[in-house]
Amino acid sequence: MTNKEIYVLSAKQISIQQPLSEEWMTNPTMYEVPFCRSIDPSFKEYVSPIEARRMGKILKRALATSKEALKASGLETVDAIVTGTGYGCIENTEFFLDALSKEGEQLLKPTYFMQSTHNTISSLIAIQTKNHGYNATYAHKGISFDSALYDAYLQFRLNKISSALVGGHDEMTETFYQILKKGGVIGFDNEICGEAAVSVVLSDKQENALCKLSGHKIIHQQGIDSLKEKVAKFLQENGKTFSDIDVILTGISGYKANDDAYMSETKALFGDRPLLKYKNLFGESFTASGIGFYVAAQCLKSGFVPRNLFVNEKDISDQRPNNILIFNRSDGTNYSLTLLEK
Amino acid sequence: MTAPIYITGCGVVSAIGLNQKQSLEALLGERSGVGLLTYLKTEHKEFPVGEVKLSDAEMRKLLGISENAITTRTALMGMLALDEAMKQAEITTEMLHEIGFISGTTVGGMDMSEQFYLDYISNDFHKEYISVHDCGNCSEMTAKHFGNFAFVTTLSTACSSAANAIILGANMIRCSEAEIVIVGGSECITKFHLNGFNSLMILDTKPCRPFDATRNGLNLGEGAAYLVLESEKSVKKRNAKIQAVLSGYGNACDAFHQTASSPDGEGAYRAMKEALEMAGINTTEVDYINAHGTGTPNNDVSESQAMKRLFGDNVPPASSTKPFTGHTTSASGSIEAVFCILALQNGFLPVNLNFSQAMDDGIIPVHQPTKKDLKHILCNAFGFGGNDSSLLLSKFEQK
Amino acid sequence: MDELIYKLKQEIIEALNLEDMTPEDIDENASLFGEGLGLDSIDALELIVLMEKNYGIKLQDPNQGKEIFKSVKVMAEFIQKNRTK
Repeated sequence: MTNKEIYVLSAKQISIQQPLSEEWMTNPTMYEVPFCRSIDPSFKEYVSPIEARRMGKILKRALATSKEALKASGLETVDAIVTGTGYGCIENTEFFLDALSKEGEQLLKPTYFMQSTHNTISSLIAIQTKNHGYNATYAHKGISFDSALYDAYLQFRLNKISSALVGGHDEMTETFYQILKKGGVIGFDNEICGEAAVSVVLSDKQENALCKLSGHKIIHQQGIDSLKEKVAKFLQENGKTFSDIDVILTGISGYKANDDAYMSETKALFGDRPLLKYKNLFGESFTASGIGFYVAAQCLKSGFVPRNLFVNEKDISDQRPNNILIFNRSDGTNYSLTLLEK
Repeated sequence: MTAPIYITGCGVVSAIGLNQKQSLEALLGERSGVGLLTYLKTEHKEFPVGEVKLSDAEMRKLLGISENAITTRTALMGMLALDEAMKQAEITTEMLHEIGFISGTTVGGMDMSEQFYLDYISNDFHKEYISVHDCGNCSEMTAKHFGNFAFVTTLSTACSSAANAIILGANMIRCSEAEIVIVGGSECITKFHLNGFNSLMILDTKPCRPFDATRNGLNLGEGAAYLVLESEKSVKKRNAKIQAVLSGYGNACDAFHQTASSPDGEGAYRAMKEALEMAGINTTEVDYINAHGTGTPNNDVSESQAMKRLFGDNVPPASSTKPFTGHTTSASGSIEAVFCILALQNGFLPVNLNFSQAMDDGIIPVHQPTKKDLKHILCNAFGFGGNDSSLLLSKFEQK
Repeated sequence: MDELIYKLKQEIIEALNLEDMTPEDIDENASLFGEGLGLDSIDALELIVLMEKNYGIKLQDPNQGKEIFKSVKVMAEFIQKNRTK
């Protein structure tokens, strides 16, 4: 096992903010809608029309963000491609399920089925970039991106890889939004249901890195006391005490029950450390934690934390953070901690 | 060579049995579980399938789950297999707060969603099933039946999902993130993927014939299997009984096509090679390969090529056990790993049923019952999109 | 036959999601696969579904597609001969 450093070389996003850009830092688009699909760039330079015709938005966005992230990283290729997706390729799943339910079991279109499986995203990136390295896909709701990141993180520690492309991708259609809202899965009061496409390149080489990935952990809920213990252990393993953490990036989203839980848990775990949020700009999605990672990395690199990310006015500061601890809470069942440092 | 990961418990549910004992009897007795569609409500009765011989209601009863509880078939099968694995490894609920659970699935709760989809879009009936649609939920539901695990996540790489769950679990132990991780996968047959595979025209209306010249497609199957992976430190501390050793593994991407494997089997070749290198063993030391061997024209030629590239003129005895169980998709990596462990423990080569005519450019699989002392087995699982994984399982020799 | 060829081109554009194409863009004698339109094996499966759905012709073996889908014209001729709808 190795203690080698892991650097975040690049991170790119397509979301309800301006795509493939950091304009949200100075000029965010504000939303007051319950559901909004991402703003898409032109995909022409990332995928040919003949290929694009089969792809749902999620696949095109994955290709665009991956290719941009790879370009920005300066790496020719990566040793591993690992993706997280909560619900996978919803557009194509819906087409196939719809046809199956309404038209029956004959004459179904193979393309929809083929492009509906969760691992289509990761494998398509590999096909397009001719990458024969490690390839995996995680589908575990709010910790899908975190699981993909964890997989890559372990492989770095085992010295199995020197670089990785880690992605978090989720899309949402109007139909599935209504269904999942009905099922009590999404669509809560004051929350924006968005979509997320994030691609991050990690490497053990530092050149022009956005920041360092110092530690990452996923915890399955076991009560606040156990959580406290594990968080303390995590910080200790990374040579930090609670007061060494400059800011904590949370998944506060506008939905009261979610936010109350975040507030009470962060208070119990971290006392009065300054809290940040990002879902007010980017909305909620299953792989929103990937967006959180991207936001934290950009803030560390630029040394600038936009005022509208601070949860409490008293914490607003122009001081450059040296580190950001990302605290992600998925349904109160799973938690993840990610420590990023300058 | 890397430190071995021990396997201290296994559980398996498939068309040939509800546990290891029944599976072993079927494998030795060459009794396939593939037959007429019984449980799944579908028009396509023409396809032989490997169904687990229990209805959802029967599984609930066995597990002590009430009729009214919200469950999915994938989770139910998973619970049965997990129960056997935990019992064999002597793992109790009280121990779970330090144990990880990693499961592979692609369909998740689709067996329910496809039944209730029209209700989902037009009324409030069955809306309590909406939240169990996704893959992650299935793993959580399976895990929760036993208690509160320290870590739960879900792999979804189509037919290599369970194999990749095993790989993540092993990596966790090697990083000292956990001493014990239970890994594997579960998948039930759904109309969704039965029709999906049919639209790709890769299902056979006859029993599948891997590596046979007349092969014409796969038969779908379903099932679940979990393995308890454990560190050396933990095995010593608990005095746990070792069933087998996970000596190596490999994961590579074919990067060729969404639904077809490359002619030269690049991904398969790399995955197998990596597994051997990790285990520090030579190609000559592999006693048997449990092939992915789906019986599609494409897979079998591609996989044969990969084997020939790696082993040259000395491809070890190989067979596919999919004629026994059908292609159990996401669960196949762990179901077949358990079959490999049974083979290691009982010294036999599983027969490749339904084989009669050698294919051009292909391997000739094991087609006669064969007793053989086995030390090292390669177990392959290849998913759509080129997600190729390979596990190297070894016999545990008490020193 | 001309009418059938035109209709077939429209149906192919729809079935294969060739969004930016019109029937005028497709040369009925050009090869559909490989060099010409650059379609692949999945498109062949879609065309098999199309033939059954719109013309009642059921192909059991996907390999038959290689001959039948040589070009739009060849496909139209096959349909003319074998259609049941």
